[in-house]
Amino acid sequence: MTVRVVIGTVIVAVTMMITAFVMVNEPNRMKEFEEGYQGRSIEAGAALYQTNCKGCHGVQGEGIEGVGPALNARDLFDGRRLEEIGWAGTGADYVESTIAGGRPRASASFSNYPQRMPTWSQEFGGPLRVDQIRNLTDFVLNWETTAMAQPAETATPNPNAAGTNLNVELPVGDAATGEQLFNGKVTGQYPCSACHSLQPNQTVVGPSLAGIATTATTRVDGYTAEKYIHESIVLPDAHIVEGFNPIMPKTFGGQMTKQDLADMIAYLMTLK
Amino acid sequence: MAIFKLHLPIVDDIKQKGLKPALLAKVDDAVTRFTAGLGIGDIRGVLRGDPAPRPNPRVKPHSEGFWFHMRPTYYHNLVTPLYPEFRLGWLSVYFMVFETITGVFLMVFYTPSPQAAFENMLNIMSNVPLGLFMRDLHRFGAEAMVLVVALHMLRTYLTGNYKKPRQFTWFTGNVLLWVTLALSFSGYLLPWDQLSLWAVTIGASMVEAIPTPYPLNLLGDKFFGDQYFIGTMINNLVRGGPQFNDNGLLRWYLLHVLGLPLVGFIFIGVHYYKVVIQGHSLPPEAEKVGEDTAKRVPMDQRTYFMPDVITRELFYVALVTFICVFAVTLGGYRAPLEPHAEPLITPLHTTAPWYFLWLQGMLKVGDKVFWGLIAPGIIINTLFVLPYIEVGPSRRYADRRIGLTVSMAACIVLSMLTFMGTPWYAVSSSADQEVIAEIVPQTHPGPLRMTPWDELTVGTFEARNWESVKSPELQELLKEYEHAVEIAQAKDKESKFNNLEGILIIEDWQDGLKKITVRVTWQDSTGNREASQDVYLHRDSNYGG
Repeated sequence: MTVRVVIGTVIVAVTMMITAFVMVNEPNRMKEFEEGYQGRSIEAGAALYQTNCKGCHGVQGEGIEGVGPALNARDLFDGRRLEEIGWAGTGADYVESTIAGGRPRASASFSNYPQRMPTWSQEFGGPLRVDQIRNLTDFVLNWETTAMAQPAETATPNPNAAGTNLNVELPVGDAATGEQLFNGKVTGQYPCSACHSLQPNQTVVGPSLAGIATTATTRVDGYTAEKYIHESIVLPDAHIVEGFNPIMPKTFGGQMTKQDLADMIAYLMTLK
Repeated sequence: MAIFKLHLPIVDDIKQKGLKPALLAKVDDAVTRFTAGLGIGDIRGVLRGDPAPRPNPRVKPHSEGFWFHMRPTYYHNLVTPLYPEFRLGWLSVYFMVFETITGVFLMVFYTPSPQAAFENMLNIMSNVPLGLFMRDLHRFGAEAMVLVVALHMLRTYLTGNYKKPRQFTWFTGNVLLWVTLALSFSGYLLPWDQLSLWAVTIGASMVEAIPTPYPLNLLGDKFFGDQYFIGTMINNLVRGGPQFNDNGLLRWYLLHVLGLPLVGFIFIGVHYYKVVIQGHSLPPEAEKVGEDTAKRVPMDQRTYFMPDVITRELFYVALVTFICVFAVTLGGYRAPLEPHAEPLITPLHTTAPWYFLWLQGMLKVGDKVFWGLIAPGIIINTLFVLPYIEVGPSRRYADRRIGLTVSMAACIVLSMLTFMGTPWYAVSSSADQEVIAEIVPQTHPGPLRMTPWDELTVGTFEARNWESVKSPELQELLKEYEHAVEIAQAKDKESKFNNLEGILIIEDWQDGLKKITVRVTWQDSTGNREASQDVYLHRDSNYGG
């Protein structure tokens, strides 16, 4: 019996030592498992991509012109695409939520892709489970290394863009064209009316522009109405109307040509 | 005058007897209370194997404590060695407790929902310290428990302990056997991987086959518009709906963590109560035929629980715990986890857990209703009522030739059926799919995924030219591939797959990701045919090997 007690005690000690050894190695083991699982997730994502995505985004994510944009492109990873659409979250969030929810309407940044992207997550009526969306995201994000190795394109500024310089020489404006621009009648361009009402004291998002030609003269000392309107379009944060937030896009200077800007100012100057 | 006076008796004791003797007396007192009667000196005597003093303090825990009141004070000398009982009953209880402890640990990190369950598994394995260890222990313990319980039953049969007056003990033991099997099976379902989904699908399709007898089928047709409504209802009950869903998973989970353990612990209580009340039955050769002397143990034949039996039991516990811990660490046992459940992908060769393979084998014999329900039903019910049918008075081996022969034959048939349950027996799928499944199986990693990633060099390789490949690991893989092709070719008796050939195409796909196409080509009456399967392998995915 003493033998049993002694052997039993030794066995218990050995068992505890093995368990302690396992415990000590846990952090490494868990890290390894996580990496391994990330790899498997990418594998699963690759298979899902082949069945579901390559039809529009190309076999290797190179994109198909006019159908779906490239996914192995540098701008998806270096932050430019996120900045362009004003995405506040991480790139992974962007990719995951775009796959999950699709694009209900064609992307503004890619006007040569008129097709809508379908929703893929089962949460929103698509065919894929949440874990599969995550696998796909992992697969798409795995293009990062190759995409970042591509040369960074430098944006070529539009020579006709109005810019943000208030002293720029503007051509003669046409108020009728300006009105069309204002109401978004020119396809996809600057629909100011989306945020600015022409009814007095009606706030949609930004302040009402009823009587702007008159108001503009009183806003800033030493400014003409034209100068104030010009500044408010290209540098919208310079003078914020009290009670409003600085949320107007700061991109119009780069997007509008000098002619567009002149037309717009001419139109707004008719709103006495 | 103090309002509150602090009185510590120990201080008086120390003043009276001195520090050391007072503290020792205090500790001894505490130990005596804790063990319900044994002081430090007594425990030391127990461990050293000293003879019991008179009066024997070692019987006190049996009469005064809760835990030991369930255990007999002494056993017959003939039942304490390994033979005849092998302590398999004790081990069954041990595993029940072992599974409860590891199970509660896992339960803390588990949500019974198809949306969360699989992710919980990954979290347990990647983010919970000792999570993988506990999961492996739980799974290993479950397999061991099934084995131990089955062996316990076989041993009871062989030594004839089920005979009068212990018929009901046998009956409750049968309940415990099925509780064990059901616990193990329901545990299969919880990780929500492919194995879970398809195991329950096989099970549910078996119960779905339950026939609705005449005239109930007419009533069913009239009221539910379904003349097989009994099968449909049971199927809905186990799956939670026509498809296995959240409700189904929750039901299996509650069964696993609550229902079955409850029944199990209650029946362990009943079972052991009967064992104690009727005494541990002696080896068959120790008694006259028809006598039961288990309760009358002569003074000189007694082995006291304390110290002999308890040290043996603790020794077994230490040993078995060590075996379990060793198996899941240095032994390399890993509880399998297949990919996330996917109703659209049916794995080739789904097999039941090993202890249900005999059932799967029976299903291959013939009709689903007879072989899947009626035949197992007869077997199970026969086992339950065996002691009430087989009433021969003698427990001696020599007098039970027919019984022992039948049991041995049953074991052999069971092993054969188990073999027939495996994919090696009579599974008809096409040669090309067999070959592909051999290289990239859906239920486990298989040879391709186990090949080191760096050895998979870009190019197109023909399996038959395996010898010309430079890398030894890739050569090994292609050799296995060619072997699978040869086997499939040999099995193709009807010449549907002529010139079967295996091709492996390896491409670089992404950073750290390779695409491998496993392609099988052959010719049949319609011309050249091919089948392929794409597999993507990542540098880090680490399938082992």
